Amino acid sequence: MSQNAVNPKRRLSNALYAVKSYFSVQANVLIVLFAVLLLVLTIYPMYSVIRSAFTVGKMEAMRYNTLMHLNLKEGDWTLLNFEVLLGNEFTFWRPLWNSLRMSAYASIIAILLGGTFAFLITRTDIYCKKFFSAVFIFPYIMPSWTLALVWKNVFANSQVGTGVVGMLESMTGICVPGWVVYGIFPCALVMGIHYAPFAYILIGGTLRNMDANLEEAATILQASRGRILRKITVPIVMPALFSTVLLVFSSTMASYAVPVFVGSPGNFFVLSTQLSSLYKNMSSRGQAYVMTIVLILFGVLLLGINQWFTGKRKSFTTVTGKSGQVSYIKLGKANVAIAALLVVVLFLIAIFPIISFALESLCDVQGDYSTLTLKYWLSREDIGGFAVNAGHGILFNSMIWTALWGSIKLSLIVSLIVGTCGILIGYAVARKRGTRLAGMVSGLAFFPYLVPSMAFGAIFLAVSTQLTFLRGTLILLVIVGSIKYLPFASRSGTNSMMQLSGEIEEAAVIVGASWPKRMLRVLFPIQKSSFISGYLLPFISCMRELSLFVLLTTDSVLITKLLSYFDEKAVTQMSNGINLLIVIIVLLVNFATNKLTGASIDKGVGGN
Amino acid sequence: MPRITLTHVTKQWGSFIGVNDLNLEIADESFITLLGSSGCGKTTTLRMIAGLETPTRGEIRFDDKLMFSSEKNINVPPAKREVGFLFQNYALWPHMTVTQNIAFGLETLKWKKKEISERVAEMLQVMRIEPFADRYPAELSGGQQQRVAIARTLAPKPRVLFMDEPLSNLDAKLRGEMRTELKRLHKDTGSTFVYVTHDQLEAMTLSTRICMMNEGVLQQYAPPLEVYNRPANLFVADFVGNPSMNIVNARVVRPGRGTAELEVFGKKAVFSSDEDVELPSGDIKLGIRPEFLPISREGDLEGTAYSTLPAGMETTVKIKIGDTILSAVVFGAIDYETDAPIRFSITGSRILIFNKDTGLLTASGSVQIL
Repeated sequence: MSQNAVNPKRRLSNALYAVKSYFSVQANVLIVLFAVLLLVLTIYPMYSVIRSAFTVGKMEAMRYNTLMHLNLKEGDWTLLNFEVLLGNEFTFWRPLWNSLRMSAYASIIAILLGGTFAFLITRTDIYCKKFFSAVFIFPYIMPSWTLALVWKNVFANSQVGTGVVGMLESMTGICVPGWVVYGIFPCALVMGIHYAPFAYILIGGTLRNMDANLEEAATILQASRGRILRKITVPIVMPALFSTVLLVFSSTMASYAVPVFVGSPGNFFVLSTQLSSLYKNMSSRGQAYVMTIVLILFGVLLLGINQWFTGKRKSFTTVTGKSGQVSYIKLGKANVAIAALLVVVLFLIAIFPIISFALESLCDVQGDYSTLTLKYWLSREDIGGFAVNAGHGILFNSMIWTALWGSIKLSLIVSLIVGTCGILIGYAVARKRGTRLAGMVSGLAFFPYLVPSMAFGAIFLAVSTQLTFLRGTLILLVIVGSIKYLPFASRSGTNSMMQLSGEIEEAAVIVGASWPKRMLRVLFPIQKSSFISGYLLPFISCMRELSLFVLLTTDSVLITKLLSYFDEKAVTQMSNGINLLIVIIVLLVNFATNKLTGASIDKGVGGN
Repeated sequence: MPRITLTHVTKQWGSFIGVNDLNLEIADESFITLLGSSGCGKTTTLRMIAGLETPTRGEIRFDDKLMFSSEKNINVPPAKREVGFLFQNYALWPHMTVTQNIAFGLETLKWKKKEISERVAEMLQVMRIEPFADRYPAELSGGQQQRVAIARTLAPKPRVLFMDEPLSNLDAKLRGEMRTELKRLHKDTGSTFVYVTHDQLEAMTLSTRICMMNEGVLQQYAPPLEVYNRPANLFVADFVGNPSMNIVNARVVRPGRGTAELEVFGKKAVFSSDEDVELPSGDIKLGIRPEFLPISREGDLEGTAYSTLPAGMETTVKIKIGDTILSAVVFGAIDYETDAPIRFSITGSRILIFNKDTGLLTASGSVQIL
């Protein structure tokens, strides 16, 4: 009898001991903590999206009841949202087709531009590599709509859209046809150029890390340059190429600002723009959630393809031997020509936008450069404008300053949270590598990447309608931003932690350093620049973000929202001026961080 | 098969000189090792001959054909030199199967399909890797990868085969096996092999001639046994041989021609050589291989056992005499108690005298303790 009494007790104390000793290891605490946190933060929103997609709201119920003579009540479960949306060619199928085409073209453009550039920088003796490399990143650092705005500034003409006169028409009188100004062509081109630096960073990183011997081995076997490129270099770079395509594809699918600026005015609608308009109408909100689910499924599908592709038998990890002895292709006489061409291209995509914004913000009559004025910057009186109360000139406009401060505040908080979580997740995952929990945490941390920004905003809007205390607060924006930008931070955190062998930390454990001390004094300093990049990237992304927050705030909370407001109201001097402000701030932050700490944006996304 | 000639080859990066004024002639069908510690310029030399690196100055010829000349501005690209190159890390293409890896070079040479598959099958068989024909490199062990790399290199029947530390990534046992096979391969193919290594044992056992380098400068170029028995200078003497040669401070007290009286280990001794060489008085370095220090009760010299390292087949005994610690090798396993007195002598006719200042070999002969 005593046996029966003792055993459960002992078992309990054994179990307690096991739990206690499990949680005495910091990595275990962290991994469990993040597993729980991420589960809550992904499962709950997903639940509310699915629920909203399968139920009807008050307005929807009224609409369906009148249209279809039904008797639905608020909160009833139904498939109507799916039926209506998927049965509508103009709100769903055409935009879907447009989204797919736009994303495919953008990926091709990004790969061609970024891949060529990566090849030039890593494999040839082209002049001024450092300079080119630094400037080529600009289009990525700048908000994606920057180039869209420039496009509008240059090509808009009296024949198309709102009839605002652009630079080209005002200088030469040429009016380019409508499809050049608005539609799929500018959308794909702008997205392609925006993501080309990404392709450069990923492909260039692989090329740089690739063992030079692999190419030399082919050289020795008398293969020509072309054959080596086709048979050796490109296949080895293939995974990087592939993940670039997936990344650009899914980011373009999700992009909102660019299609709004250079798509919608030409009646070119994509899923994200449709999502926004479905959402704005209370009687079609359910359909907006259906579309969110569609966008998420696309993300999952793309990631699945990526996993399948990289999980194949051929391992692309290469043992690095005596590399660094890459013999550059000598461009010879073509060097000057190619370098000159690069200067022109880089000027157009990286420098010219900034000049263009400055000029546009100075034109009293839009597009007319003979009417330069500082009014839109310096006026202490109301600017007026077409339909809005624009307030004072930019520098004295309290609305703009409030919004700018709001954006900076949000970005700072988000980057601090995301950067720190990224490092901690990286630490926990690296220490617990191979365990199921570690796999789950790194998977969950990557999940937000699959959800398009716009849909992400919609999800949390759904959450905030239930948790009303969150509605419209900074906290909601911080939560949304933190989760959305976690994937890259956790990935870069994991990468840099994986590079540190466990022994480095163990050496500190042996001498009795506490866990915070080990993190702050040993691990952090070693990977300082890549950790700081983990803070930099969310800051910059958040600063220029529009689509993520567009549904969640009113016009005057964030600077990007204000920018799109001015653009919608056609006060382009103001929107250009604000854009210039954002671009300058983002570039300055990037430059300052780079100079002070050696961290840079390309390190944040996995480049070297 | 060509003869390879290097004349005044120099490689410079900025002010750093990687290889300095190297003159070398590699005979047809020989097996040459470039030996030296890391950073001595041996890999650079190999890469220059293969054409993967461009020398700063000098000339490289295959037979009488100029491959490189800084003066005449000739630089034949690596592809045109018809050489094979085996990389240290194998450099197998990860996206190709074993068969594809081996066939690649033949396809480049536009061989016929049938010939290619025959040659690939032959190489698979020679290297004993037939079961792995359809595997990817990542699915092979280090030794298997190594064989694939050799097969890929040999498939187009190169006239010269360059190898850059091909065995350094293998474990000790496999390295031994591969050494045996490389030597056979050299005989079977009849190609010229140029081999880079930092392992003196590999150089000793494999090559027909060793090219010993240090800090970019050629130290000695001779057959292995000559390098072992008559090292050109103290550096070579110390580098080749395991345990290393004992280098002992000594003094010529009575100079002579061929014969001289020495002071070594605090004793008088007579050095006599068959060579007609002048032995002036003053400090010298005496080089004694461990096998020339037999331990016996009747030995002329007495020291103490500093430490004993029995390895089974032979035992290395570290003997302390005065301030010097000598290595001696004894056949069989013996264990001396630490600090026990040991008597030993100096035998053989291959005791070496080096110039103390220049480090160059002066004479080889026998030492008789008086």
